[in-house]
Amino acid sequence: MRNILKIGAGALAALGLTVSVAQSAETVLWWDFLGGGDGVRMKQLISDFNAAHDGEITIDATTLEWGVPFYTKVQTSAAVGEAPDVMTYHASRIPLAVSQGILQEITTDDWSAMGMGQGDFAEATWDAVTIDSKQYAVPLDTHPIVLYYNKDVLSAAGLLNDDGTPKGMDSREGFTATLQALKDSGSIKFPLGSVTGDGNFMFRTIYSLMGQQDGELMTDGEFLTGDNGDKLENALGVLAEWTNAGLQSTYTDYPATVALFTSGEAAMMINGVWEVPTMTDQHAAGNLFEWGAVELPVIFDHPSTYADSHSFAIPANAGKEMTAEKRAAVLEVMSWVDKNSLFWATAGHIPAYAPVTNSAEYKAMEPNATYSPLTANMIFDPKSVFAGVAGPMFDVMSTYFVPTLNGEMDPADAVADIKDELNDM
Amino acid sequence: MLRNSRSEILVALVLIAPFCAVYGLVFVYPTIKMLLLSVTDAPLIGPGEFVGLDNYTRLPGERRFNTALWNTTYFVILSVVPGTIVALLIALGVNRLSGRLQALVLALFFLPYILPVSVVYRLWDWTLNFQFGVAMHVLDWFSIPRIPVFKTTTWFMPAVAFVTIWWTAGFSILLFLAGLRAIPVEIYEAAALDNAGRWNTFRKITWPLLWPVTALVLTIQLILQLKIFDQVYLFSFGGRPNDTMVLVQYVYTRAFVSNQGGRAAAIAVTLFFIVIIVSVLQFQLLRLAGNSGKGDDK
Repeated sequence: MRNILKIGAGALAALGLTVSVAQSAETVLWWDFLGGGDGVRMKQLISDFNAAHDGEITIDATTLEWGVPFYTKVQTSAAVGEAPDVMTYHASRIPLAVSQGILQEITTDDWSAMGMGQGDFAEATWDAVTIDSKQYAVPLDTHPIVLYYNKDVLSAAGLLNDDGTPKGMDSREGFTATLQALKDSGSIKFPLGSVTGDGNFMFRTIYSLMGQQDGELMTDGEFLTGDNGDKLENALGVLAEWTNAGLQSTYTDYPATVALFTSGEAAMMINGVWEVPTMTDQHAAGNLFEWGAVELPVIFDHPSTYADSHSFAIPANAGKEMTAEKRAAVLEVMSWVDKNSLFWATAGHIPAYAPVTNSAEYKAMEPNATYSPLTANMIFDPKSVFAGVAGPMFDVMSTYFVPTLNGEMDPADAVADIKDELNDM
Repeated sequence: MLRNSRSEILVALVLIAPFCAVYGLVFVYPTIKMLLLSVTDAPLIGPGEFVGLDNYTRLPGERRFNTALWNTTYFVILSVVPGTIVALLIALGVNRLSGRLQALVLALFFLPYILPVSVVYRLWDWTLNFQFGVAMHVLDWFSIPRIPVFKTTTWFMPAVAFVTIWWTAGFSILLFLAGLRAIPVEIYEAAALDNAGRWNTFRKITWPLLWPVTALVLTIQLILQLKIFDQVYLFSFGGRPNDTMVLVQYVYTRAFVSNQGGRAAAIAVTLFFIVIIVSVLQFQLLRLAGNSGKGDDK
């Protein structure tokens, strides 16, 4: 019995010790959904942060499952006051989060405490985290889709410009001709590797093509009004045409698309910038051909690319006020990571903080520097509670994109059904 | 001896109290809450306004609810009876083996059952993958055009039903084997002495005596397959989720994707009653069928 008491006393003393140590520094609870190659890079950034703030601030980070599981957990934990101090958030999910009241506003004072402001971000990015002229998140990056291409194959087919970019990037006819020439060259299985088996993913491409015609998914709370339906039909029509002409892979899901490209079976691929590290690493290991990544071709009137933004948000913990010290620590976390996001760019994402992308170091990074000017042509999801990654709008789109892009359904029928279903939500 | 019935009741109450408490806490209370939630327009978290039966009355006119209802029915048709027949056939086969060999074959058939659904999904998703799947190369050999199994509505449900039967048959096989072993050997010996053929032995002895187990397997399967979610959710990812939707998935989508707790609850309550009605009906039907079968023998 005496021994047990002794152990107990020892444990209590130890506990007291850790508590006193912890009190001298702020611990910031951090949640993210970064599970892939970019997760590894974020862990590096976090440990760099902790080293730079030794004895002051410690980030206690947890990585959760991307998508619906993450956002459900955030919502439930905020409702009972158990949410973290800071978390990563997709800008496209902010409208829903604000309507649920689970995000705290980033106030003017907060921005000045972080030493950042509107001028440090691209207009579209700043707008994406703004609801009713209030900001609800600090953008970390933008992650658009780009066109990856196999330089070896394109160069053998005489389809490279002098600066190493593919030919025919300025028009529908031009790009289709490039695809056709690749097909005729007979050196590859598919001119374009397309994620035609996953309509969720294709939303990014199709929405970009709509943006190239100034099409909008939502105007004043209504879906596909006026000629926006026609613009969606045009976008679907181009992709369906490529399928019918045998210019792109059919019923291909995400991993298979990446595999088609990296194995050299597909000469080009439209995919997110987050695949850049995959290519860089494989190329460095000598397993990959010469490759490049550029902004999407201009199929319609002007350049436009769909993007989303990873940003940092502070949850509104119900019944739990954040201390001023804690808030200062959280602000320091967000601003430090943003200002040190050059390393984050190695994950392919374009840092949102302009001083980083304007730096000489960033401009020397390839292919990042080649595609980063597209930030001027970015469009984000419509601001709707139905929008956003893994949101209900994605499911509606996917249901009709897959049959349309694989020649099972007529684009006009698809648009009519999409309209009905979107308005059903 | 006189018994103190009062103290016996007390003991009985004390003994069942833990069960009642847990049952009340994790089943009765949430069910009542769900009923209350289903008549509000509440989001996933937090309270909502009372909207009467709106959440229910809109269901018949909802395209996605109708799709989900039809897909669930279709899946049940494709999986319950075929799954039971497959399990029965395998059980009959395994039953003819003996010793180590029987144990080995049984283990092989049971193996898929112990796999988690995520592994089952990965296995079949890659086997049937349109670009790289092993099965597609087999089709290529026979010059049959490749089939995008999980991306078209024609093939989706049959394929998921096939995978489900492959995955879960092991459990039904075990139940059938237990049932087969419970049939006394003497009856078969008597039949053999009477020169009964193999088909007659099965029809007149095995089938009727195995009926209670068959009825049990059918009922378990029915309830299980009405609640289908995991496989459909996983296989439909990125494909045509709204066209291949099943009821539980619709509950999930309304609640967690569309943030509409009240509407999700109304669908859940509807499904709850569908399961109760269908399974009670089926059980009664099976009992009747069993009784009339016995009548024939007399």
